[in-house]
Amino acid sequence: MTLELVCPAGTPSALRAAVEAGADAVYCGFRDETNARNFPGLNFSAEELHEGIRFAHRHGVRVLVAINTFMRAGIADAAADPWKIALACAEDAGADAVILADLAVLDHAATHHPGLRLHLSVQAAAATPEAIGFYAEAFGVKRVVLPRVLSVEEIAVLNQAIAVETEAFVFGGLCPMTEGRCALSSYATGRSPNLDGVCSPPEHVDYAQAPEGTTARLAGFAIDRFAPTQLAGYPTLCKGSFVAGGKTSHLFEDPVSLNAAGLVARLAKAGVTALKIEGRQRGKGYVAEVVRTFRAVVEAVETGRDPVEAERRLSSLVEGGRQTSGAYRKQWR
Amino acid sequence: MNRIGLTLGPLLFNWSAERLRGFYEGVARHSAFDRVHLGEVVCGKRMPFSDRVWPELIGMLEDAGKEVVLSTLALPATPRERRSVLEICRDGHLVEINDLTGLPVRTGLPFVVGPLVNVYSEGAARFLAARGAQTICMPVELSLASIGAIAAACRDVEIEVFAFGRLPLALSSRCYHARLHGLHKDSCQFVCERDPDGIDVETLEGQPFLAANGIQTLSHGVHAFCPTPAEAAAARIRRLRLSPHSTDMVIAGDIYRAVLDGVTTPAQALARLRELRLPGELVDGYARGAAGCSPAAP
Amino acid sequence: MTEREKGELPGFVRALTAPSRLLPLGLVLTLALRGLAKRRPALFDRLGEHARRSFVIEPSDMAFAFVMVPDGAHAEVRTVARGRAAGDVHVLGPLLALLGLLDGTFDGDALFFNRAITVSGRTDALLALRNAIEDAELRPSDLLGLEGRAGTLADASILRVVGTLQRLTGLQPDGMPS
Repeated sequence: MTLELVCPAGTPSALRAAVEAGADAVYCGFRDETNARNFPGLNFSAEELHEGIRFAHRHGVRVLVAINTFMRAGIADAAADPWKIALACAEDAGADAVILADLAVLDHAATHHPGLRLHLSVQAAAATPEAIGFYAEAFGVKRVVLPRVLSVEEIAVLNQAIAVETEAFVFGGLCPMTEGRCALSSYATGRSPNLDGVCSPPEHVDYAQAPEGTTARLAGFAIDRFAPTQLAGYPTLCKGSFVAGGKTSHLFEDPVSLNAAGLVARLAKAGVTALKIEGRQRGKGYVAEVVRTFRAVVEAVETGRDPVEAERRLSSLVEGGRQTSGAYRKQWR
Repeated sequence: MNRIGLTLGPLLFNWSAERLRGFYEGVARHSAFDRVHLGEVVCGKRMPFSDRVWPELIGMLEDAGKEVVLSTLALPATPRERRSVLEICRDGHLVEINDLTGLPVRTGLPFVVGPLVNVYSEGAARFLAARGAQTICMPVELSLASIGAIAAACRDVEIEVFAFGRLPLALSSRCYHARLHGLHKDSCQFVCERDPDGIDVETLEGQPFLAANGIQTLSHGVHAFCPTPAEAAAARIRRLRLSPHSTDMVIAGDIYRAVLDGVTTPAQALARLRELRLPGELVDGYARGAAGCSPAAP
Repeated sequence: MTEREKGELPGFVRALTAPSRLLPLGLVLTLALRGLAKRRPALFDRLGEHARRSFVIEPSDMAFAFVMVPDGAHAEVRTVARGRAAGDVHVLGPLLALLGLLDGTFDGDALFFNRAITVSGRTDALLALRNAIEDAELRPSDLLGLEGRAGTLADASILRVVGTLQRLTGLQPDGMPS
């Protein structure tokens, strides 16, 4: 049993950090709306991807390219279609796989790039054996990144029923909503993960300072408020504080990060092939520390050594300073 | 040119069996809808209650000349939920898929693609059309321009647009009604039945924003897309979908029928909609390519 | 000793950096930035449209602020009196915390997660700048345009001084006041 550690790279320097810290594979995306972390200043040019892949391959590390948003309607000139360009660039650069979500992009890849290995992005939200089986049969998808809605028990049952590999998130930012099926961001701001590759985009973020504290607003909606001494959070819509039924609460999700380090052994037993770390928008310091820690976790699990104190080691890097095992434990629901 | 159809989408909220009967009796008797969706889309736990009601309602609506579409779950998770999706997809009625779970068994038979399935471009629409999609209700985020581009490229598919109701924005495996009431999803006591249009979610400054409905998050605002017949024809829209709410949906249907037939103007239609008892302000930003919460013209 | 915020410079260091002595600083930094753009254009490509925005960087422990437009070969830095600077985005914080962001000592997300730095205006422009800096792995020698042994020497001594000051003033590597 060997678990593959799949690590984030928002920039070439983060890619090098992940490779040096012990990643088995690194995932990244192009600097445009074709991937779900389309934030300003982030991601790779075609040239940077070529160079990054050369570097990773020299160290025996695979590179997976995320092209996981949904193709825009009404692109008249196929030669100028960013999603088609991205697929061609990824293949040309020698990507070991592409991570896709959209039926149109999958169909194009399967038809025009038969040599590319296809992974199904979490953004495709395929959570049942029937849906996963469909993607495998229709497009030859080899691996599915599991939606963050399944418990470990459900993953074990699922793996019995499907013929493709599964990849499960083990650390990082946590969407409480089913990814790829959330339009909260565009409702407030006009820009969404599916259409633009961004959630709660920074150009709509505003921090208003007042003596009693800071109010974080997204497109004018007060998403959260922080006392002067309290840690501030990035105003991601679903992690905000809201009022419903007369109660003020983090209705959708508390500002916490996923840390499933303690569940790695059970995920392995459930038949998971790869463990994924979230955080392409985070710095290389984060990438290096999280990858090193999970490399140690995986080694401890594989050799039956004492568990690594991952929660303690990573506590300073997580949002809100708090960690959860999310939907992997049924109580989360 | 064909008349634009009027669809009553699936009910997204947890209504009692009596309420369902009363509601659909009214729809059968004197509404402008030519197609009516039945079936639970949001939560599999509600199915044991509503499943008993659907057979009689199907007969009643069909007797009244309505075309009935059986809607399926958007996020089937348990073996029982998956079985129900597959069973419905084998049914002789027209079926709406709201997740790709049902697609393999339905391939080759005609089906409707619901707005919760991601069809954002011509390529995705063509792919599903080749497998039997007869009607595709576009994702709520799409602008009219994008919808027109897809419709122009896929003329053999009936393009439907979500035109009225709180916008279905997100799904989760977590139940927000249960969470709000300090309950666990598995022992939720069906608290969502208290809120026939979902429970309002406001910002810390008291600004109306969203609505929670079990595992679903909707907009607080009520989306109202009222095109002129010419606008609808230019975008090759063949159907408008109205999503059931506690307000008088028969009147809402009449208002849309009138605007689609050119009997009233969109401004008059919006004014008449505002006279209804709605759970939120009218919004229409998505159709214009803007933020979904943008208010509709006054 | 007068009361000062955690992370801010001690008075004697502030005295050394009084505004009158720093009048040509804007010019020096402008030239340094343009030199960097010539040597490493990719760093500025990453900024995209945000290269033409004006970033107001206000060290809370100094009497003046920097206004920077990081537009590659046309890059410009001006120093202006504090409170008088206008721009697309404002960043306010102790100089050493701001320097920590520049050299990557501090995790850039500290920008949002801690209160040592206050941000207002175009958050997207600042995010672009922080991501560009994050990828750049800048050393003091890059800004000074020094190469070889002189560069190595400058890096070692400047980083040592900054590091010492950061520890002295109670800033931790994650950018959080201890």
